Amino acid sequence: MKAKRLLRNALLAAALVLYACTAVRAQDQLRPFNTNSLDAIVQQHAGKPFVLALWSIHCLPCREEMAYWNDLRRRYPQVPIVLVSTDLPEEWSDVRRFLSRYDPGPVERWAFADEYVERLRYAIDRKWHGELPRTYFYDANHVVQGRSGKLDIAWLTDWFNRHAK
Amino acid sequence: MLKKFLRCIAAGLLGLTLSLSVQAHGDHRHAPAAKVRIDLGASAAFDARSGDLWAVYKQGDHVMLTRSADAGRTWSEAQPVNPKPEKVAADGDARPKIALGSEGEIYVTWTTPLSKPYTGNVRFARSVDAGETFSEPVTVNADRQEITHRFDALAVDREGRIFVAWIDKRDLVAAKAAGNGAYRGAAVYYAVSDDRGASFRGDYKLADHSCECCRIGLYAAADGGVLAMWRHVFEPNVRDHALARMDASGAAGPVRRVTFDDWRIDACPHHGPSVVGDAKGTLHAVWFTAGDRHSGVYYGRLGEGAVDGLRRLGGDAAAHADIAAAGDRVAVAWKEFDGQRTQLRATVSDDGGRTWREHRLAATDGASGQPMVLEHEGRFHVFWHTRQAPLSVTAIP
Repeated sequence: MKAKRLLRNALLAAALVLYACTAVRAQDQLRPFNTNSLDAIVQQHAGKPFVLALWSIHCLPCREEMAYWNDLRRRYPQVPIVLVSTDLPEEWSDVRRFLSRYDPGPVERWAFADEYVERLRYAIDRKWHGELPRTYFYDANHVVQGRSGKLDIAWLTDWFNRHAK
Repeated sequence: MLKKFLRCIAAGLLGLTLSLSVQAHGDHRHAPAAKVRIDLGASAAFDARSGDLWAVYKQGDHVMLTRSADAGRTWSEAQPVNPKPEKVAADGDARPKIALGSEGEIYVTWTTPLSKPYTGNVRFARSVDAGETFSEPVTVNADRQEITHRFDALAVDREGRIFVAWIDKRDLVAAKAAGNGAYRGAAVYYAVSDDRGASFRGDYKLADHSCECCRIGLYAAADGGVLAMWRHVFEPNVRDHALARMDASGAAGPVRRVTFDDWRIDACPHHGPSVVGDAKGTLHAVWFTAGDRHSGVYYGRLGEGAVDGLRRLGGDAAAHADIAAAGDRVAVAWKEFDGQRTQLRATVSDDGGRTWREHRLAATDGASGQPMVLEHEGRFHVFWHTRQAPLSVTAIP
């Protein structure tokens, strides 16, 4: 009887440890980005300014921006930052590894979930040709401006200052 | 009794929680042990003597080779170029390459990513028995630092020599180590084989300050050597295009600027050019730009200090054009998402690029690779590897 109880407790403890170790933390999860995801994101942030940043593990300037997002997110917690990786599911373990290494901070994390990437890009912006990084700045009224390329930290800080009310 | 009951509940709840957390890992759920998906980056080349069309594409950790005897209507069962698995790069502008020798030799290159991000080696294998067997793959770049040697480009010159060019970061790395943080972009290097791929000599530097992530366009010049066109980074950050000639001796010709769109950006376009010469030696090219002056995919003839006959191809979603020439005829193809489907479009000139005739060749409802324009016996064909129509080939009317 004692041995059985011991075994059961050990199994419970082991299961708990296993659960703790294997459960992906909520913040590490990548949300699948599909053709209707931008609408969902915009609605979710209705009435608020926010930033949508498209990036890829294959884009070196994008890596350099991760530290900026971390810093801005902490300094301006009222402005959500939504990161969308253009890397497809077969690369998501690399995406997660990249994000834990280059830590953009408490940002939303999405990734392209459909290999028909032209259709996803079209749903985001018909005038975007796929160059990265590509960032969209929504003001509180959701008037949006898109910018291509690595961003100047002075310009970014100025935008956040003006819009984080 | 109660203790046993409670323990059962606890175990049950734990089991339930465990199974719920497994279901919540949306992206972990689908780890297919089964089929490895065919990647859509592919290249093809006609054997001028036999008329066979050969194609290479990535599938998992292999570069696969297949042959069509009927210009792409049907294909043979694919064989691996590399029997031993190795990582094959297929991001953005990367795809395996194929070129044929004058005796039907089959030359294949690809980039293998290394463990550090953004790194790679250029790999080569050849078959001298019509694809029956392949040599063991070799690394072409003599420099073996774990750095970028990526975006391999392959061409055979008029003398049968093999030229392999690639994007290389040794100069950037050296500049950083010397405390110079201002080195722009990466560099273009190349290697040459005089013995049908049995060995290579190099590495020869063609140019500093290329873009880091765009494919290189190659054209075997009629007077020997191979011309390379690539996206460059002109001071301070202008990503327009440059051209230079790779000589078989390893001497690099002067680098000249050939597009003037003034696209100032620090970004990865993942969108490189193609270049070809016509019977008169005039160079025709297609490229992408998104500057203030021009935005989209363009065709033009590469003149001295200016582009002649500049034309915008398609609309805002035009992408990844390719070009081929035969005599005075020039054919261009590109793909373009129209809101519903991806269209394969082409335009052909019979008079060296002065007048053009447009064609709608095909369309697909899913993902696709970059189209390639091929010429065989005076006819143009567009090779386009798509999810719905793998290894499709459409003759241009």
